[in-house]
Amino acid sequence: MNSLSRSRMRAASAVLHGAVVMAMGLCWTVPAFAADVIRVVSPFQTTTLDPMRSAAAGNIETYGQLYSRLLRRDAETGALEPGLAEKWDISPDGKTYTFHLRDAQFSDGSPITAADVAFSLERIRTDKKSAYPAPLGAVEAVSAADAKTVVVTLKSAFAPFLGNAEIWNMGIVSKADVDKRGEEAFASVPVTSGPYEVKQWKPNEKLVLEPNPHYWRKGYPKSDATVELIEIASPETRIAMLKAGEIDVVRAVPWAQVDDLKTVETVDMRLEPSTTIYMTLLNHKREPFSNLKARQAAGMAIDNKAMAKAITRGYAEPANTTLPGSVDFHDKDYPGISYEPAKAKELLAESGMAGREVKILATADALSQQMALLIQAQWQAIGLKPSIVNVDGGAWWDATGKGDYDAAANWWYNETPDPDLAVRWAVCGTCGSNSYNTFYENPKVDALVEQGTREADPAKRAEIYKEIQRITTEEVAQIPLYYAPNAVAYSRRLQGLRLTPSLQWTLEETSIGQ
Amino acid sequence: MPLLQLISRRLLQLIGVLAGISLVTFLLVHMAPGDPARLLAGERASAESIAAIRAQYGLDLPLWRQFLTYIANLVSGDIGLSLRFQRPVIQLIEQFMWPTLFLTGYVLCLAVPPTVALAILGARRPGGIGDQIIRLVGIAGLTIPVFWLGIMMSRFFGVSLGWFPVSGYGTGFTGHLHHLFLPAVSTAIWLVPVLTQSLRAALIEKTTADFVTAARAQGATERQIFWQTMLPNAVLPTLNLLGVMVAFMIGGAVIVETVYAVPGLGTLMVNALLGRDYYVVQGLTLVFAVSTVLITLAVDLLTAFIDPRVRF
Repeated sequence: MNSLSRSRMRAASAVLHGAVVMAMGLCWTVPAFAADVIRVVSPFQTTTLDPMRSAAAGNIETYGQLYSRLLRRDAETGALEPGLAEKWDISPDGKTYTFHLRDAQFSDGSPITAADVAFSLERIRTDKKSAYPAPLGAVEAVSAADAKTVVVTLKSAFAPFLGNAEIWNMGIVSKADVDKRGEEAFASVPVTSGPYEVKQWKPNEKLVLEPNPHYWRKGYPKSDATVELIEIASPETRIAMLKAGEIDVVRAVPWAQVDDLKTVETVDMRLEPSTTIYMTLLNHKREPFSNLKARQAAGMAIDNKAMAKAITRGYAEPANTTLPGSVDFHDKDYPGISYEPAKAKELLAESGMAGREVKILATADALSQQMALLIQAQWQAIGLKPSIVNVDGGAWWDATGKGDYDAAANWWYNETPDPDLAVRWAVCGTCGSNSYNTFYENPKVDALVEQGTREADPAKRAEIYKEIQRITTEEVAQIPLYYAPNAVAYSRRLQGLRLTPSLQWTLEETSIGQ
Repeated sequence: MPLLQLISRRLLQLIGVLAGISLVTFLLVHMAPGDPARLLAGERASAESIAAIRAQYGLDLPLWRQFLTYIANLVSGDIGLSLRFQRPVIQLIEQFMWPTLFLTGYVLCLAVPPTVALAILGARRPGGIGDQIIRLVGIAGLTIPVFWLGIMMSRFFGVSLGWFPVSGYGTGFTGHLHHLFLPAVSTAIWLVPVLTQSLRAALIEKTTADFVTAARAQGATERQIFWQTMLPNAVLPTLNLLGVMVAFMIGGAVIVETVYAVPGLGTLMVNALLGRDYYVVQGLTLVFAVSTVLITLAVDLLTAFIDPRVRF
């Protein structure tokens, strides 16, 4: 093949060489880290800027930055404190709340009035498209008594009301803007009442925020930095970006990476308190888990201490009741479902469900796969025939909502320390949640749920919620697995930033140090 | 003009392709389990709000009516509104298109010169040391999974050495070059061996072709024979392959884009699928179909230009 002359070859290799040299040359233009941007990365997407429209994880993170609420929580202690409402009076019968608003403005400079508050709350409560009206379920009416006074009347006394008025979807929006622009108001740049306003929204990629100059908390946000809430699906990529210094905060650090990140000097790897509970849903609508003994057997077959250790490397606490470990009135002394595989086998035989096929739903992420595999192995050991069916999130919700599954391990969290919303979500058959798609229903529990909100005395409430936890755990409404902290990694150049148990970033308290 | 005929025939075909693809994608996405309204409103949304959202977007209508509305809009040039973001699909595609196109062009620039060089080097002495090494390395490049390679390269060149960013698209031309270097290299590493093998085989085959012997008999120098006779003939199958690969990259850069967090069409597609954002998925599929048809057309035109025998 001397047909290929030397000089041509040399030319070709020179081109190749040149390309490589040029590419290598690019390496030296090291990216300058703009000091005035705080970059926060989450796997969860922002899909709407309308606080009423979604209860999905990514939007919850966003709402807190854009909208103020009547009350707020102290970033450090988590205590309820005045927000847009400077103070409030509660009528002696506990049915009327009168909120007195402070002087505050929207991001467009217009005043935040009682009419805006009444409009926002009524919208959450009564609009058909409101994703999560449950926290205002006890409300009869919201009205503006005058420009600065909002009166909320309840159907009956409702102990958790103030806490519920602080939840992420209770953000106050501008009535004038929504009246004028309709849904368009939230399509790109909404008028906001919170610490930030939208600079640019690139759906599916990132939301860029800048401080709201009219924010009512003077001096906040502490830093005038722009904030980017970036969505990155791949956990490996999130961690690589943090290590490479391209971003400042990563949410949902995989457990396997926690120890490694703790050794990185520039990174502050934290395990922050959460109200998250990992558990296994059981479908009470069909066999085998419509059978109480089969459920108890399934529960006893699972060594949740070992699971917590294996999956979270010991960073999570084994769960002992059906409720998150850090909600108020969680019963720490309850022994939980004990791990007794031999007894589980017997119980299963007694139930007549031995050898039954069990369809375990799992999504593709590592955590979901691990949980499904461990559960499958432990159930196989007591004589069930579990198989794992892999689906994506959309199909997961479809199947659980229709009751087309037998078991599915997942997590949920409670947006307030008060357990009312938690029990309504997880174990109440008459609250519209189908007990988190398990179709568990116990009229006694449903009655206790209502009773719990009417009782004002904390000691008595504690008893009620203890009873709910005892009944639902004994009946194995779900199988509690573990209570996991939020694994969040922060760049050390930031001060004051954390993810609260209600899954809100304290960005307004954040400053950039060295 | 046969060329005009070719183009007009292809464009006619395009209409058929688009109609077929619209129907298939529409059926596939709508019949897959999962509800966009649920994913939009979140897990705690009540059945009533889900129903209200479905009604608002017409998702509660019978499938055939939804399809007719979709087609009617399509014919009038409107590919729809994203269910999740309330933005026109075309706007989303435009936002995510540039990184993907840039990446594709970048990969081509990185992949074509070494392909030509390596194929020539290998074909010069088939079975020789150089050829063996090229083939061995090529097989290694082919077999390494892209996602693994991507993660490893971002750890090494991005995190440990700090030479390249591990994510994003950057700003400005050099910013794009810098940010997309690792993704482009990761893609080129499997693309180069594929193309090299094809070109090398064709080159070797052509060395014994009659027209080469004829050219030699007519007294052409070896250099002339190679550049004017062999290479143009050998390059045709590789060009076709390249066309397919480019079309594939525009629609299928999913893995590389996910690993390096490039905000391109692949990421948009994955998220739209996961979020059951029907019109985005359908719109993207149409874009991919159109680009595939156009790229094949371009390749055919190029082929006709290189080899006058190829007429249609």
